[in-house]
Amino acid sequence: MTDTPQNITRRQLLRGAALVPVAGALAACATPASKAPASSSAAPVATSAANPFGVAADKPLEVWIFDGGFGTAYAKDIHQPLFKTKYPQAQIKIESTKEITKVLQPRFAGGNPPDVIDNSGANAMDFGALAQDGQLHDLTPLLDAPSWDDPNVKVRDLLDPAVIEIGTYDGTFSVLGYVNYIFGIWYSQKAFRDNGWQPPKTWDEFLKLCETIKKSGKMAPFTYAGKFPQYLYEPLLTLAAKIGGPEVLVNIDNLEDGAWTSEPMKQSAAAWAEIGAKYLMEGTAGLDHVQTQTAQNKYKVAMLPAGSWLENEQKTTTPADFEYGMFPLPDFTGSDKMPYGTLHTSPGENFIVPAKGANPQGGMEYLRAMLSKKAAGDFSELVRTVSVVKGAGEGRQLSPGAASASKAVTAAGANTVTYRWQTWYAQLKDEAIAATGELMTGGLTPDKYLERLQKKADEIKGDSSIKKFKR
Amino acid sequence: MLFQRYRRGLFITAFLAAPVTLYLVYVISPYIQAFYIAMTDWRGVTAAPRFVGFENFSRLFSDGIFWQAVRHNAALLVLLPLLTIVIALFFAFLLNVGGGTGGLQGISGSKLYRVIFFFPQVLAVAVVAVLFQQVFRPDGSGMLNGPLMALGVKPIGFLSDPDIAFWSVLGVMVWQAVGFYVVLFSAGLASIPRDMFEAAQIDGAGRGSLFFRITLPLLWDTVQVAWVYLGILALDVFAIVWVMTDQHGGPDFSTTVMAAEIYRNAFSYFRFGYASALGVMMFFFTVGFAIISLRLSRRERIEY
Amino acid sequence: MTTMTSGTVATSRGEARRVRRRRLGPLGVLSHMALLVWTVLVVVPILWTFLASVKSEDEIFGDAWSLPATLHWDNFARAWEQAHIGQYTLNSVIVVSFGTIGTMLLGSMAAYVLARYPFRGNRAFYLLFVSGLAFPVYLALTPLFFVVQNMGNVPVLGPFIGLNTHAGLVLVYIAYSMPFTVFFLAAFFRTLPTAVGEAAMVDGASHTRVFFQIMLPMARPGIVSVTIFNVLGQWNQYQLPLVLLQERDKWVLTQGIADISTAAGYDQDWSALFAALTLAILPMLVVYTIFQRQIQAGLTAGALK
Repeated sequence: MTDTPQNITRRQLLRGAALVPVAGALAACATPASKAPASSSAAPVATSAANPFGVAADKPLEVWIFDGGFGTAYAKDIHQPLFKTKYPQAQIKIESTKEITKVLQPRFAGGNPPDVIDNSGANAMDFGALAQDGQLHDLTPLLDAPSWDDPNVKVRDLLDPAVIEIGTYDGTFSVLGYVNYIFGIWYSQKAFRDNGWQPPKTWDEFLKLCETIKKSGKMAPFTYAGKFPQYLYEPLLTLAAKIGGPEVLVNIDNLEDGAWTSEPMKQSAAAWAEIGAKYLMEGTAGLDHVQTQTAQNKYKVAMLPAGSWLENEQKTTTPADFEYGMFPLPDFTGSDKMPYGTLHTSPGENFIVPAKGANPQGGMEYLRAMLSKKAAGDFSELVRTVSVVKGAGEGRQLSPGAASASKAVTAAGANTVTYRWQTWYAQLKDEAIAATGELMTGGLTPDKYLERLQKKADEIKGDSSIKKFKR
Repeated sequence: MLFQRYRRGLFITAFLAAPVTLYLVYVISPYIQAFYIAMTDWRGVTAAPRFVGFENFSRLFSDGIFWQAVRHNAALLVLLPLLTIVIALFFAFLLNVGGGTGGLQGISGSKLYRVIFFFPQVLAVAVVAVLFQQVFRPDGSGMLNGPLMALGVKPIGFLSDPDIAFWSVLGVMVWQAVGFYVVLFSAGLASIPRDMFEAAQIDGAGRGSLFFRITLPLLWDTVQVAWVYLGILALDVFAIVWVMTDQHGGPDFSTTVMAAEIYRNAFSYFRFGYASALGVMMFFFTVGFAIISLRLSRRERIEY
Repeated sequence: MTTMTSGTVATSRGEARRVRRRRLGPLGVLSHMALLVWTVLVVVPILWTFLASVKSEDEIFGDAWSLPATLHWDNFARAWEQAHIGQYTLNSVIVVSFGTIGTMLLGSMAAYVLARYPFRGNRAFYLLFVSGLAFPVYLALTPLFFVVQNMGNVPVLGPFIGLNTHAGLVLVYIAYSMPFTVFFLAAFFRTLPTAVGEAAMVDGASHTRVFFQIMLPMARPGIVSVTIFNVLGQWNQYQLPLVLLQERDKWVLTQGIADISTAAGYDQDWSALFAALTLAILPMLVVYTIFQRQIQAGLTAGALK
């Protein structure tokens, strides 16, 4: 035991570190070698009205679906068979994951991405980074192509204009939102009926309703997915837009000075902080969306903010007579810039065709099939939601929640707002998530909360390495 | 003779070729490249990263979240070894020497305890992380909060309260680590001649002085090894934080660590250049820790 | 263990014991208490998981300590079939088996040469290997991904060792296990006597034969220790497969478990999560309990070397 090995070797281990650069000279450098451009750009087949992108009939197609609230059945049972009717020889591989980034980002880095991706969910890839690197195929030809059902109608005319605005990066339309997400406060129509509660029209009524529910002792008034506070900054931002108009959100998106600390934002943050302090279900901060939504299904809590995917997401735990309903954010003051019924809507389930995939023509054709009346209608029915294809839901049997959401959209008309900073600036999103959780649990005052987000926004604005977007 | 030398040389080359090649290709070359990538603005998808010199490093110094992560690692570096070693030493002593019955072989049932204490060590960290996510649930369905709420206590936000979450992470790490060090210290104790304890006891030494006068000094070398292992564990922690905590290192970044920030910057923000720069910092911290611990242990040896 | 001392102080032992018992009695109770508390801390979360694995979804969301009304063994069927725990376990077994065998073979070869054959550059090679112990693996992740991807382009072998291949992951495991393996085995080989090997050489045995037939068997205790360390280390590995294996059917168990945890949030299948956890935990505990003596001895011998 004179000189134990561990004592010598631990010391040597450090000296060894100094040798590393020398060894480097020996090692082959394998940093991303510039690759030959992908062969996909060569158009293999002549285009025609029936085949506007020149799809090779036998070329395999690889599709990745985000396996979230809508599941994957719609891709396998609706879209794939429809595509197959036209291209029976094509091998279609439908894959799914909940971790889009983890699974697919390396494929992009490796230059062999799949042909179609539903880049959605909490772990979706950063569109900004993909756009910046030219990884997204230009989908303008898709917009200008004839629709699947009717050669005289262009795909462009089927879509809500918001889809094109939201899907445009650097002036190029490259992301196709397939679902029209409608955000609001969700409740059980049965529970409200049984207890004589009314969906509130003004913020005061909302507070009174919370108080009534709290006093009734039957359930907690309000909750949100505490583990994912993005569920709460959504109504916070929407309320601010309702108070101060859509430019409140545009300024935030554009990283304008003082956008976060504007007066409407202050009012909204203070209003929600009050809800956080008084009316939250116990334990909210540590629960995720499924846990809180399941609590609502069990009548443990009355209201929660969510989007129109909710009903489908909860289909296995919802009692048959639960009757989902949704109401828009109430009027905050008598002088809100936007009228009652204003909604936050946003195209979601974002489909992209990677520019460096093996079969981008097939990818676009697949999207064209998805946008057919049949595919979109079947989809709406299957997953109980509203698609972006105009009129696809006509004559379909809608579930109570989807019907309630559709009614709200119709009532809102042009009074819809949206924001995009969270997809453009992932760091700002993470900061907002962290800070919103703190706001709701009382760790941050509304002013401190907004100052903190403003600081992060300013930081991003000043960081030359982060690509900026404008709307 | 020449033939002998030739044979010897051939043998050395043959035996070293495969391991050295594998090691250079898969370990050394990525590390070298990482140092280069740290000086680019590479976002992971483009073919030709742009060289930006030390820009990433100057940006890093004003990155509050990264330094928060560094502070958490530093806290773990002190607390994880301290708690684990104290608890493990205590149990090892009880199990091997301090038994109240029989001779000096320790408490009855000590073998069983040693087997059970080791359980957490054989579970994958990812499994432990998922398991404790459930144990720590914030409502009545949580293993810990269920009984608390039944007693009328307000539920504790083990993972959702930013003031508590870090301690939960530390607790789980200690939970998993203790068993191994109980066994390690037990093995160390077994190599101490029994006569020393017997003699001390006959001299009237109590359990406390048995521990401090004999056990601890003779185990000191082993304790140092444990400290280095646990220190590296504290600097390298990733899976527990990434899998178990809310928002991967939250809430409000209250549990984040260097490795999580590297992973976040690389695989959620696609800032591979910046992430590599963070990795280089982590590399220097690790090497720094190793140098310091060697210095200390060397001084220790001279005094000994 | 007591046999070695029993003779030496036999006369005073009885008295000493009596004295000790009088003095330490209440403390003995406290010691037992402390040990019991820790036992509870270790065992209860694991048992609670086992219990939850046969509960229904409703019961999991209900009171944490309620007993299941009926045993829902179908949770296991779902975990095994739909969550592919069976497939992931098999993948883990394959990767870890080959990984460990490869690591031990190449690692012991390198360690032996570096420990017993002085030559120019020996020290440099040794330090090169051992320096790997100080590198945080997170620094290497991104470039490693590209190295493995480029391996996929190597003629003939490429398709077998690129991304999404188990062989590729095995090679990476071997490479990343080298620092530790070489470090400990070299130390071990240095402590072995030289005489036997030299005698065999005089008898005309080749260097290779001496290694495989004489030195390796002599180094058995060290080999066993390091093997156990490597099996545990590679079995628990999460970070490397996360980056290198993206195809679901190739995943290893740790990836599968972490994924089910994420997935449970969407599918609302928490009971299957608990079943999957049980399937991941139980075999490890059984294997460990059977071999616990060897494992504990092996691990500590390795660490104390």
